[in-house]
Amino acid sequence: MRIVRYNSPSSYRGLVPSRSPWSGLEGEIDRLFQSALGDIASPVAAGRFPVDLYEDKDNTYVRAELPGINRADLSVELVDGSLNIRAARKTREGDREESFTLNRSVSVPDAAVQTDKISAAYENGVLTVTLPKREEAKPRKVTVAVN
Amino acid sequence: MSLLTSLVPSFARPASDHEPGLAVKPVYDLVENADGYALTVHLPGVAKSGLELTAEAGAITIIGRRAWKQPEGWTARYRESVDAAFELVLTHDNAVDLDKIKAELNDGVLHVALPKAEAIKPRKIAVG
Repeated sequence: MRIVRYNSPSSYRGLVPSRSPWSGLEGEIDRLFQSALGDIASPVAAGRFPVDLYEDKDNTYVRAELPGINRADLSVELVDGSLNIRAARKTREGDREESFTLNRSVSVPDAAVQTDKISAAYENGVLTVTLPKREEAKPRKVTVAVN
Repeated sequence: MSLLTSLVPSFARPASDHEPGLAVKPVYDLVENADGYALTVHLPGVAKSGLELTAEAGAITIIGRRAWKQPEGWTARYRESVDAAFELVLTHDNAVDLDKIKAELNDGVLHVALPKAEAIKPRKIAVG
């Protein structure tokens, strides 16, 4: 049985339009490395997934790319100022079932977030955690009178 | 930017509808078994509407465009993911029976079943 695995989106080189004159050579070199390293690096063994942080005036948002996770295996917790995202991905290959855990922590200052109103949604493989800001942390304009 | 586009002709070509322009290769997994190939592709953020799966005689092309656009008023503080579309091209020498390909997209993961073409399945030859 032949297995071909490609583990990491090579974004540094992927951001070249796909028909570049080097894509043939790069493809060959990639395959050379894959066949040499393919058995050592098991799929998603790195356990890291991309996370983005956004903000608007009312909330802070954390978006994590986690395709293929069951909601039951996904946990989001805020502990001691750290937002921990933990996910287990189970893959089935024939009779074997393999399970990988992925996790990542983002530090969130407790004072700035209304911790009981945090919500999360998982859509199309992307988890979005919404952290509403406390009133004190929202941007406010302070006018200072100058004598 | 214009210096770069004049040096590298492919940058100057406008991205057509078919080609996604700047694209990232997704994480994928291809397993071969006796009857066919099972392909799993990770396409986070891609919904069915943004997915194009084309099977031609020589190649299977998967293009996934992300469905999410950053809302107005959101400022990006820290970005690790990329907004580029996903593109994956797998070439085969007519090894796949194109009529029987089945695909499903769940939670950002695309599973494609690619049955082998009859012509390449192993067969026993009786010796007369």
